[in-house]
Formats: sequence, structure tokens, C-alpha cells
Amino acid sequence: MNNRCFLLAPVVLWLWLVAPVEIYAQDETVLKAVSQTYAITNAAIVQAPGRKIARGTIIIRNGLIHDVGESVVVPRDALVINADNLYVYPGFINGLSHIGIAKPRDEQHRERPKDPGNPLPEKAGITPQRNVVDFISPDESSVEAWRRIGFTAAHVVPYGKMLPGNGSVVLLGGLSPESMILKDKLSLYAELTPADRVYPSTTMGVIAQWRGLYQQAVLAQQYNLLYAANPKGIERPVRNEVLESLYPVVSRRQPVFYKAETVLQLQRVMALQKELGFSLMVGEVKEGWDLIEKIKAAGADVFISLELPEEKNKADNRDTTRQPDLETQALQKRKDDFIAQHVGLAAKYQNAGLKFGFSGIALKAFDVRKNLRRMIIAGLTEDNALAALTTYPAESFGLSNRLGSIDKGKIASIFICDKPYFDEQSVLRYVFVEGVLYKIDEKETPKPDPNVKAVVEGEWNMLIQTTEGKLDAVLTVVREGDQITGTISGTQTPQPVSIENVGLEGTMFKFSFQGMVGQRSGKIEINVKIAGDNFKGSAFLGTESFPAEGKKIPKF
Amino acid sequence: MNKVLTFFFAIIVPALAAQEKPGNLLVKNGTVLTVTKGRLEHTDVLVREGMIVQIGENITAPSGSKIVDATGLYVMPGIIDAHSHLGISDINEYTAAITPEVSVGDVINPLDISIYRALAGGVTISHAMHGSGNAIGGQCVVIKHRYGEVDPAALKMQGVPRTIKFALGENPTTHGRRDGQQPQSRMGVEFVIREAFAEARQYQEKWDHYNAQKKQKGFRGAPPEFSPRLQVLADVLRGDIIVHCHAYRADETIMLMNVFRDFGIKKLVFQHVNEGFKVAPELAAFGAMASVFSDWWAYKLEVYYSTAYNAAILTRNGVLTSINSDSGEQIRHLYHQASKTQKYGNLSEDEALALITINPAKQLGIDRRVGSIETGKEADLAIFREHPLSVYTIPVMTIVDGIIRFDRDHDADDMRIYVDPDRALDLPVIHRQAFEEDNCMQGTADFYDMLK
Repeated sequence: MNNRCFLLAPVVLWLWLVAPVEIYAQDETVLKAVSQTYAITNAAIVQAPGRKIARGTIIIRNGLIHDVGESVVVPRDALVINADNLYVYPGFINGLSHIGIAKPRDEQHRERPKDPGNPLPEKAGITPQRNVVDFISPDESSVEAWRRIGFTAAHVVPYGKMLPGNGSVVLLGGLSPESMILKDKLSLYAELTPADRVYPSTTMGVIAQWRGLYQQAVLAQQYNLLYAANPKGIERPVRNEVLESLYPVVSRRQPVFYKAETVLQLQRVMALQKELGFSLMVGEVKEGWDLIEKIKAAGADVFISLELPEEKNKADNRDTTRQPDLETQALQKRKDDFIAQHVGLAAKYQNAGLKFGFSGIALKAFDVRKNLRRMIIAGLTEDNALAALTTYPAESFGLSNRLGSIDKGKIASIFICDKPYFDEQSVLRYVFVEGVLYKIDEKETPKPDPNVKAVVEGEWNMLIQTTEGKLDAVLTVVREGDQITGTISGTQTPQPVSIENVGLEGTMFKFSFQGMVGQRSGKIEINVKIAGDNFKGSAFLGTESFPAEGKKIPKF
Repeated sequence: MNKVLTFFFAIIVPALAAQEKPGNLLVKNGTVLTVTKGRLEHTDVLVREGMIVQIGENITAPSGSKIVDATGLYVMPGIIDAHSHLGISDINEYTAAITPEVSVGDVINPLDISIYRALAGGVTISHAMHGSGNAIGGQCVVIKHRYGEVDPAALKMQGVPRTIKFALGENPTTHGRRDGQQPQSRMGVEFVIREAFAEARQYQEKWDHYNAQKKQKGFRGAPPEFSPRLQVLADVLRGDIIVHCHAYRADETIMLMNVFRDFGIKKLVFQHVNEGFKVAPELAAFGAMASVFSDWWAYKLEVYYSTAYNAAILTRNGVLTSINSDSGEQIRHLYHQASKTQKYGNLSEDEALALITINPAKQLGIDRRVGSIETGKEADLAIFREHPLSVYTIPVMTIVDGIIRFDRDHDADDMRIYVDPDRALDLPVIHRQAFEEDNCMQGTADFYDMLK
């Protein structure tokens, strides 16, 4: 235990017992500091990939890194965090996300759209004039979810279809939407996503529409310049909000940031870039292993998706008792090879010298660290993983003088964890976003209340609704101590069939049986939640699931 | 032993043809059906860098050439399907009646396994088309079945004329009626096409005027509005794009020819045109060509009045005719479809083969490059176990640009290029539980309950 901290630090961190505290979320405490100065002492500091300080101190003041080094003077007014045996990293940057923007509700369109060939631009997904600041909120749950795994900044884009709007680099914290915005209109965000039942309703329609808009913007900008230079004697140009928001793109002052996940999307987007000439960045890259040379040639900035396919697909575990035949083995092997391709993409780019960042637009923050570890096992070095999360995005966004590493003068967005970040057991303790300290509390996993026991024994009327008809059955459950057994009988199973694989956890009840649904027979798995005299849940046959419900048959 | 071999071939990653030395082959000693220059027995075909350079007997192969022994086999030009929807990610932009600005060429999908299956039927080129839901649909694309490539651009046949899809009859009117838009009737279809061309004509005049004025010194003026849609229609008026029009009935084909005559459009191929036999002389007089089914009809009211003699009658009356599939299934045995014209119409062997080779090539404007086995043409070849027009035949090898893209004896079982890791394995479902009742009594389980 280093005694120096007691000599240097006038005010120790247990201040949160004394100072007023603002509770932001149940598992996070924002410390409204008495002082805007912090000292993190005795920490193992990872300033940037390849630059480490075994034991050092960081001084944060007014939202900036005031000083960092092995022997740094701690100011008298600093709040000290004794980071002995703790690790400090620069805050991570998500290359493409919707963090902070609430997902718009899926509108159920009951009516067929009138005049689908001439929709309003909003319906067609053409809203390039939109800006993130109008949609983002620091209180949105995703902000905290990503912050607690070490992300302090992100390139955020609005929701939408083909041209949702402009993307901005935001800080994952702050008191108001405006205060979150670090760099506004970094990119024009685009997807190859068609509109819903109006033009363009196909990818080729989106491409044609984009091409048309681009060319119209070129002409409109030219004419506007001509008019501005000398308006006398020529028609006044008609204002067009959509085309105007494309002017920075056609003059190459703003890049187009495409979400391009599949090998086809990536190539289509690069073909558009070659044809029209805009500056290109791509995010959520997944199937990119064959496109290294093409991406290099396009000069595009690349952000690999943090989302990875699951190792073992649930749908494949149909019948684990039989030895799989040769065909299944072969198909499974090819599938496993491709899963490996996905997981190994970052390592492959690293080995080919193609630099990249990471993005996560669809996955839950919860899966990020596990996926990073998978990529590292597949060959990505920890330093390169770190670079993809810090220095590369900072440079790509033109912010390397302010973000991406722990250096004097940069914005104080860092996090502290108890083990090196990529270790499986590593837990984050504190996160600073522009000098504001967030303490990460352990999230409690809700344990099922042992006192609430669902009464599962008895006779139930079970109903499964399928596309081919109903399955009506009587489920009889018998309980002997901890052993639960039962039978199913009904119109389609005249002979009672016993239930197998029975499990009861709290109110969740599951079992399986051999039965028939419509014309198909097979193993049906039931997964339901019991609430008193009813249960509700799902029935699975093969890969399909159907709603299942049950009602207790009263005993008289 | 067979099981081991099957297992072995099943697990090797399919050797992508792109890894082979490109396009240097010697196809030895086959019966070569040139289609345009007769039938040659015991003849070799030498291919260098994807081109047919020599056809003759006892050719010595230069070093580095792959030798294909075609002894006892039949070698014909790669089959060309003039109407297909394979290998593209989108087929129909159905939200409007007039969408010439979209192009299926923007969404080529080289990973489509149907392309490989078409190769397994001897087809080397297909005309991937926009759908028939729009009176004026999108532009189409001619693709070479270079299966194994990942780059969509690699499948596009470069330097070929542009084509576009029109549609008449029940398909475009159904969409119109659904949306409450024009066209909802056959006369509406004609009007919508006429109106579109009239607008395109005005559009072109405006732009011609502007471009002429721009050349003058000191000109400052606003350009007309740019419309990609009208631009493509103007290209059609100018003759830059071949129109492929989906039509069945005789009256609508006459209607369209009248419209095209009024607007001075000459390049026209009718697709399906089941009633073509009724108006063969009129089609020939206009110079319109026809791409038909062998014997598929009665699936809609407008396709009721048809005959298997359609292709033969059109051919005999001077209309350049091809047989197409418009189907991922039929494309795998187009050679059988062609052979039907020998029974229904007595077409000769070369005439029948022409329906699926040189004739569709002409309709697509690519006949100088493919469609027959001649020196100087691209090496697209299909090798069959029996004569391709024989009902007993089986395709054994298909070659595109001198690269073997289908090899019945050596290809892996799983020829997918990319595999989706999130999809469950595509396995057959075998019902292990025997029905307790007669198959004839399927679905009558409730019936038993009623009897109780």
C-alpha cells in the first residue's frame, strides 16, 4: 500500500458521503464535485496503444487532462482517487451508433399508402437535413449502458431509412443535448434501406434515387453560386432543403458515412462512390474479408461491427441424441468456418495493414466486451483493439487533438477498471466524461424470490395456436417432492404422452413432449410463465414458435 | 468407398474457379455443334485467354492449357436465357407505373446459388430483367454466369447494349387497380406509355435547347430540372436502349408497335407473346423479335389462347425467336424446351439450337461475341453427355470465358460462396412418427372426435 497518497491528498474520495450526490441511475452515481479537479494516483495508465505508464498520476481539471505522468504534482484542491492496482484507459469511441436517441416506435400502417410513387420525402426516408442534436438526450438509457463498458464518445446518427440525416460526434454524458455535441455534422449518414411500401421500395430504387438527388444537388449548387455571384437577369433559384443539405457532400467538404454490413452492400456503396465521387466512410462492416484491396483503393475509413454471430445457434440443437450424419456435419463445418471468418475479420484487417475502428449500432452494450475477447482470441492484438476503439476513430473524425489518448490538453474522458480491460473478469469502477465522474456500481442480477413458488401440479387445459390450427390438450402434472412428472393428452395425442426435460424455476415452467402440430410431428418444447391459475408463453417446434397458454382445470 | 468419397468432396471448400489459370483450355474430340457453321465430328476447340482461337481436328495444346476430354460428348455454345430474374437482389420497383431510372444492374447478386444451378443446365448468360409489374419498368442487365466471383461487377457483361423492361396487360393494370393509380385498364397502359414518351420528348427538347444556349458566350440561365426518369426515356427515344416488352395478347402487341411507330422507336423484343403466332407477319414487318415459352400457358386469362407451335410459327414467318425460361427451375433444362420445337413445328436441329443460343444473342445485341462456336468469339461452351436436344441428355460441364464454372464430376456438394452464420442449417425434415391413420384420412383427426 503506497503511503504517499496520504501525504499528498488533502481530500480523499470518500467525499460522496459528505457532499451532495445526484443519483442518475440506480447503478450509477454522478458525483457533483466540490471541486472540478481530480487526481488519479498510482494507476497503471494506458495512455494510448503502445504507450503505458506502469505507475502514474493523472490530473483532471475543468474537463481536460491537466497533466499525466509518473511523478506529477497533485494540486491541493484535487479530489484524489487512489488507483493503486487499478488500470486507466482513454475513453472508447463508438464509430457508428444511435446512442442517446430513443428508438422511434414502429408505426403500424394499416392503410395502403395513396400515390406510393410520389411520397413525401419523410416517408421515402429522405431527410438529410436532420441533425442529431434535435433527437438526442443524455438521459436515454443507452448512454449509460455504453458508458459503463468504457465508451465516452460516439458518432451518433438519427434513425431513418436511406438518408436519415447528419451524424455528429457526441460525448456520452452531459446535462443537455446541446452540451453532448462535440462535433456537429461530421458526416452525412446513409443506408441502402428502402422505404415502406412507397418509392423507393427496393435497394435499386434507393440507388437510383440517391444518384438522382446527387446529380440534382450538383446542378442546384452550381446554379446557386451563379445566382449569388450576380442575380440580375436570371431566374431566382427555388429553395430545396433536401438538396441544400447535400451541398457539403458534393463539394467534398463532408463525407458520406454508409452503414454497409454485407459483402454486397459494401461493394454497392463503393461502386456508388466511384461513380459519383463523394468521400466515403463505412460502418458496421461484417462480411468484409474479401474486400481489403477494394477498401484500400476507395480510401474509405472503415469501422468493423462489434456484433458477431453466435457460436452455437439454438435452432441447430434439434436432436442432440443422434450422431449427426455426414451432410449435417459438412453443413455445420461450413457454417462454423463462416462464423470464424466474422470473428477473425478484425485480425485479418490488422494483418493486411488496413486500419479500422469499431462500431455498434444494433447490438446491446452488454455483448461488446465478450465479442472483443472473441476477436482477440482470433488474432487481434490488444493494442490494435485499443487503437480501433480510441486513436483510429479520433483521427478519422478529425479529433485527435482532443480525443483518443490520455495526453495533456485533451478532453478528460477516461475510465478506470480493476484489471486490464480485455481480461474476462475485469470490472469498470469509474468513468470520466469530460471531467464529470461516474461511479459504476455492480448491477444486481434479480434472484428469483424463493418464497414465490408457482403451483404447477394439477390439471391444465393447454392451447397452442399455430398457423395450421390449434393444439388443444390436457396437461396433467404430478409433483413428488422435487420430482415433477406429467402427461399430455388431447385430440391429436389420444394416447397420453409423458412430458420430458421438465424444469421449474420460480414461475418459469418448461418441458417438452412428442406431439403433432397440424401435419407435422416432432418434439414440442414448451416455455411458459405461471401466474396463479394461468400460464402463458411459447411452444417451439423445430425453428418455429407459437403462442401457448393454459388454464387450470378446477377440481371439484 | 463411395461414402468416403462423398464425405471427402462434401467437406472440401469448393475450389473457386477464379483460382484456375484463366481461360486456357483445349476441348478435345467432341461432337461440336457450332449452330451457325454446322455439326463437326471428332473436333477440338482451342481456347486462349477466354477466346475461341481455333476449331479443328488434332489440335496440339500449348503448355499450360487444361485438357477437357470430350470424346463421345457433345459441345454446344453456352445457352443464353433472354428472360430471367436470377442473380439480382431486387426484381420489381412496384410503387409506380413508370420507373425507368431504376436498374437491376445496380443490385447484381453474384452469390445467388441459382446461377450455379443455371450453369448446371448449360446456361452461360442470362438477361436479368426487371419485373412486369410496371408499364415502364426498370433497366435490365446481361450477366455472364461467372459463378465464384464475389464482385457484382464481375458478372456484368461489359460493352453490351442497354435494355429496359416494359409490360402490358394484366400485370401492370393489377398494380394500378391496387394503388388506385393509372393504369387500371389496357387503354390506360397505352396512354401511360404515350404520355411518358411525350414528356420525355419535351424534356429532351428543353435540355437540347439549354445545351445549345450554354455554348453561347455570356449565357447565364437556369438549367431545366434534371430528371433521371425522363432522361432514360429520352435515351429510349434516341434508340440507345432495346425495349423488352412483356406481352401476351395479339392486340396489345399491335398496340405497342403502333405507339413505337408514332415515336420512332425501332428496337423491340416482345417477351412471352403467347399469341405471337396470330400476328407473326405484323411482328416481322415491324422488325420486332420474340422471346417465348416452349409450352407454358393458361395460368392467367390473358395467357389462355396459346400453342406449343408458337416458336415454330414465328420462326417460319420471319420473326427472330428465342425460347426463354423466366424461371429458376426451367432455366436448368432450356435444352429440353428447345427440343420441343422439333416435335411441335419440325424445326431442324440447328434451328432448335439457335432458339437458345444465337437468337437470344441477337435479341440482346451480343451476337458478335457469343451465341455460336466460331473463332473470335468468347469461349462460352456447354458440354452434354448426349445430344442436347435428346431427352436422355445430361449436361456435364459448362465453361464461361474459357473457365470451367460447372463440372458435374468434380464440383463439391455445397457450392455456396458465402454462408449465413445466423441461419439454421438447411436440413430436410423427416417425419419419424408414422401416421396412425391412412394417408387418405390426413387432416380428419377431428372427424373421429365427432363420431364418439
